[in-house]
Amino acid sequence: MTTEKYRIGIDTGGTFTDGVLINELTGEIQITKVPSTPDDPSRGFLNAAARLLREASVEPKQVSYVVHGTTVATNAIIEGNIARTGFITTEGFRDMLEIARQIRPSLYDLQFEKPRPLVPRYLCFGVPERLNALGEVIAPLDEDAVRIVALKLKDEGVEAVSVCLLHSYANQDHEQRIGKILHEVMPDVAISLSSEIVPEFREYFRASTAVVNSSIRPIVDRYLGSIEERLRADGLEAELLVMQSNGGVYTFEAARERPVYMVESGPAAGVIAASYVAEAIGEFNVLSFDMGGTTTKVALIQDGEPKITKEYEVGATAGADTGAGRGSGYPIKTPVIDLVEIGAGGGSIAWVDPGGVLRVGPRSAGAVPGPACYGQGGTEPTITDANLILGRLNPDYFLGGEVLLHIEQAEKAIMSRCAEPLGLTLLEAANGIVEIANSAMVNALRLISVQRGFDPRDFVLVGFGGAGPVHATKLAMDTDVPLTIIPMSPGITSALGLLVTDLKHENSRTRINRVANSVPREVEAILDELEALGRGALEKEGVLESEMDFERHADVRYVGQSYELSVELAAGTITQATLDGVTADYHVAHEQAYGHNAPEEPVEFVNMRVTGRGKIARPNLKKVARGKGSDGAIKETRDVYFSESGGLVSTPIFDRYRLGEGDLIAGPAIVEEVDSTTVIHPGTSAKIDMVGNLLIRSV
Amino acid sequence: MKSTGQSTEPIALDPIRFEVIRSALTAITEEMAATLRRSAYSTNVKTRQDFSCAFLDSELRVVAQAFTQPVHLGSFVELIPRAVRSYRVENMGPGDMILVNDPHAGGTHLNDITLIAPVYYPGDPAGQPAGYLATLAHHVDVGGGAPASLGAFQEIYQEGIIIPPVKFVEGGEIVSDIFTLVMAQVRSKRETPGDFRAQVSANLIGTRRVISLFDQYGYDETLFYMNELLEYTSRRTRAEIAGLPNGTYKAEGFLDSDGFTDKVVKLVIEVRIEENEVFFDTTGSDPQRRAPVNSTFAMTFSGCAYALRALLDKDLPVNDGFYRNMKVHAPIGTVTHVAPPGPVVGGWETEDRLNDLIFLALSDAMPDRVPAGTKAMQCQVGIGAIDPVDGEYKCTYEAIAGGYGGRMTLDGPDAVQAHGQNTENAPAEETEAKHPMRIARYELIENSEGPGRQRGGLGLRRDYEFPDVAAKFTILADREISGPWGLFGGKAGRKAYYILNPGREATELGSKVTLQLKPGDVISYQTCGGGGYGNPFEREPSQVLDDVINGKVSVERARTEYGVEIDSTGRDIDESATRRLREAAQ
Repeated sequence: MTTEKYRIGIDTGGTFTDGVLINELTGEIQITKVPSTPDDPSRGFLNAAARLLREASVEPKQVSYVVHGTTVATNAIIEGNIARTGFITTEGFRDMLEIARQIRPSLYDLQFEKPRPLVPRYLCFGVPERLNALGEVIAPLDEDAVRIVALKLKDEGVEAVSVCLLHSYANQDHEQRIGKILHEVMPDVAISLSSEIVPEFREYFRASTAVVNSSIRPIVDRYLGSIEERLRADGLEAELLVMQSNGGVYTFEAARERPVYMVESGPAAGVIAASYVAEAIGEFNVLSFDMGGTTTKVALIQDGEPKITKEYEVGATAGADTGAGRGSGYPIKTPVIDLVEIGAGGGSIAWVDPGGVLRVGPRSAGAVPGPACYGQGGTEPTITDANLILGRLNPDYFLGGEVLLHIEQAEKAIMSRCAEPLGLTLLEAANGIVEIANSAMVNALRLISVQRGFDPRDFVLVGFGGAGPVHATKLAMDTDVPLTIIPMSPGITSALGLLVTDLKHENSRTRINRVANSVPREVEAILDELEALGRGALEKEGVLESEMDFERHADVRYVGQSYELSVELAAGTITQATLDGVTADYHVAHEQAYGHNAPEEPVEFVNMRVTGRGKIARPNLKKVARGKGSDGAIKETRDVYFSESGGLVSTPIFDRYRLGEGDLIAGPAIVEEVDSTTVIHPGTSAKIDMVGNLLIRSV
Repeated sequence: MKSTGQSTEPIALDPIRFEVIRSALTAITEEMAATLRRSAYSTNVKTRQDFSCAFLDSELRVVAQAFTQPVHLGSFVELIPRAVRSYRVENMGPGDMILVNDPHAGGTHLNDITLIAPVYYPGDPAGQPAGYLATLAHHVDVGGGAPASLGAFQEIYQEGIIIPPVKFVEGGEIVSDIFTLVMAQVRSKRETPGDFRAQVSANLIGTRRVISLFDQYGYDETLFYMNELLEYTSRRTRAEIAGLPNGTYKAEGFLDSDGFTDKVVKLVIEVRIEENEVFFDTTGSDPQRRAPVNSTFAMTFSGCAYALRALLDKDLPVNDGFYRNMKVHAPIGTVTHVAPPGPVVGGWETEDRLNDLIFLALSDAMPDRVPAGTKAMQCQVGIGAIDPVDGEYKCTYEAIAGGYGGRMTLDGPDAVQAHGQNTENAPAEETEAKHPMRIARYELIENSEGPGRQRGGLGLRRDYEFPDVAAKFTILADREISGPWGLFGGKAGRKAYYILNPGREATELGSKVTLQLKPGDVISYQTCGGGGYGNPFEREPSQVLDDVINGKVSVERARTEYGVEIDSTGRDIDESATRRLREAAQ
């Protein structure tokens, strides 16, 4: 029996639940994959956790943290498996959710539908009250009317209620009084006040955020509750945490109250992992490239911090090329790592369109029937089939040999569906499929970098996910990214991300006022109040004062603009100099984002934002042995297609587990490991670093 | 890979390179759109997304455009080529941009201002533009007789500043004389300069990206693929059209008023589908009016182009390869093709209704594709007042949704924009924070749906209140006499109402008016419901029940319009009474 401490990360995906156990002292990692159990995802979670502990012979008491990444919240919305929810707003605005943004999600589709509101109209109510934009009371709250509504909702048997009154971001009083009445009438019902969840202006977006929170709250509450109960019963005393969409973690308890913060929990973990992997070798500007079976997700990390967006829609449909269709999902204003997700993954289907052009995605063969080469009845060619034909994947060593790939099935699918209709050879067609998928991914990478004013040459690319390392090197070449990093076990990188992040709580408030007219003392007061909220949450989570850190941001715009950019406020007491700094920083940020600024224009505050962080010590990854030259790691040679070499090239295949620190590999080369395959293109070379990363650069 | 532009080798089409360049071109216009949206000032451009972006080749053919407002399609086809030709290519150079909005020279209404940037590739020895980037944005105010440049006038000159093609940016810098002159005409002094700068910025970003595309794939080769993209689109368009039923289809309809007289405005459309081409003809439509309902040719073209595009594969690109297979004949001097000096600001009403009429004309031939009558009016709102807080003249422009028509298997969605218009709503909180006004009500109108087996969508009610100021308020819409038609036994949706001070000394207003309000006045803007599709007595009773439970349709209306009896709990169908009602109706 040792006293060593461990952390567990469990990442629940659509097909597999990945588990990672890390020894806090040695950085040694144990991984496991178990099938996900969509009917009750908590079983998959518990199976993975139990297996990790058993295989590593670790006692439950030795575990200090468990961090969970899950899509349970998003799935509930997408599948319509949501709680019966009520909605209360200002009289005259009952139909806020029905009207939404008044747009069609797809422009030329005469058979379109609007997303169905999460609350049916008969459970939506307007109550007499009114505030103006300054938060002043124009009409008092009619508490009797609220009580009548509360009784109706009780009669209807709702499990949750959301409240969003006009201008409640400026004055919470009416919402809080409604919350109190609801609680009196229905003590067991979960209540979400928009002014507590995200007190920012633009009513539909704030309401939608509160409603998403309400409608998933009972589901998430039961789910996390049952996990917690079982873990405690097994003797686990660890802190239980969930990954949030913004890359921070929060406790099960906080997640059960505010599940809207965890809708993109799984993908966020991947971005955090990419940041961690790069930071460990001194790189802080990172493009995260996560390619799985059905989609690819890319994100940008600047100075060690992932870019955050507040324009996100839950359940939106991903396009093949440049991301989701506006208005096709449910907007939330809580912070989400700014991911561009496109419908191109290993299982994405290649097809010839009616104009005779080769296309890839967004349709996917999914897990069933899967790519044609899986031999499970799939007849349509996929990106995986193309990579197999090009010699990039090993038919006998896919998932370490667990899945046998059938080359003849892949060949048949590509010949009949792509090569023959286009008059191409098999190899040309397979290469075309990969190039087209790559071009969509290049567009996505440009979207988050060049389009947002960042030069890819200042970044490194971290490639992971089962299919990521197959494509990463080429994408880096096409976008002029100088260095590609492929971490060890890229298939479970996302799960690793769960173990290397901090506790995070963001609080914000809308306060529209010109920066020039702002009084430093008043700004300070708002920030103090927001910081106190974060401090309270962190204290509740047992974080010591010395481990706390607070970042203050202001969302700022030119007077008259409608969208804001975030500017960090300098540490220390807010003075006139701090405020002048805000204005100066905004001009710079605007220039960077949009290519121009207007220094003569006045600047105004829109939101104040404080992020409280409870630091969690990051584990160190285990070092690999010193290399003895890469030749010893060659397991075979195989013909692999590289268009830049004009066709098939005899290519050495390396066993990743036999490579050591300092080993060098010149492209073309393939590196195989259980959960992924790295393609090193001609004209590039890889070096193995201390912890086994492949560092790939152009030569 | 860089080309000197002098290569004479023929280029062989590589289907993979084709797809790569095709998506890169789309990505460029989308990047321009994102830049414009994020850096503009006005709620109309930013939040409501009333703008579009495009790339045209050196022959002024549209190659790619960003996914925003189809009503702007016609401007790209009509206005940009005419503006460039009249300004003359030899008068432009790198870093220059041309500003234009002239409705009588290919434009739409004056608020839609287009900024055109010729793109020069440094590697091209001839020094000719390799193509043109353009951004079109609806500016909230361009002067004229009423705030937001919206109102019932009799000549174009009353509608605001007319901008013929002029050099607005020279060598990368805004030409301050022109800028100052334009701004002097504009009421919204704060927002408009920011929106102009955002347009310049979008064109600069686009230029950078087009040049790097040439760098990456070679100048000649990229130009070759641009042309191939048009050929490809044309091939696909022709193949798609071949799948439509050949024939000549005709429909006529009416706008309920023109803004000065109550004389309805007759609109006629003939759609002729031939083997690989489609012809639209508006002959028979009324002569143009000295009133705001006249459509420019570009507007009419947009309506026809949207209708055709919506009938074809969702995946088909929209560029010159598509346009070249459709022809629009709109006789000059009619409300569908106004001659100078006719006013145009309400021409969208004509454009929108033509669009609805095209679907009506085709409904027998393609009953599975087209909707019943939709909102098919713009529902424009223009508001102006001096803000007592800061003394600034503030203008608001927006356009409100209504009910969509029922489809063969789907109900018409409630409260949504129709056809070429897909602008968002302005959040009440944003409007109230920026302008001296209040949105008092924003809700669905119960029982406004056109009954049908698939019912029409509900209309919207938006009440504007002005507690402290004497604002000027313009309504530019239609449908004050009749609502959108039903199809195949479906009934019409509720008509629109425009009401001053509802619930007090309520006055019903016309659909095209400018009013000087008093402090405390309220305007209730109530848009129409969509038309129903199919016999309402065949509607699935559970769907009727659902509408009743949700308060969208009353119990009484369920009985009379749908033959469904709801029991006394309000939560169940009285099956036997329903059977009796429906049998009696047979």
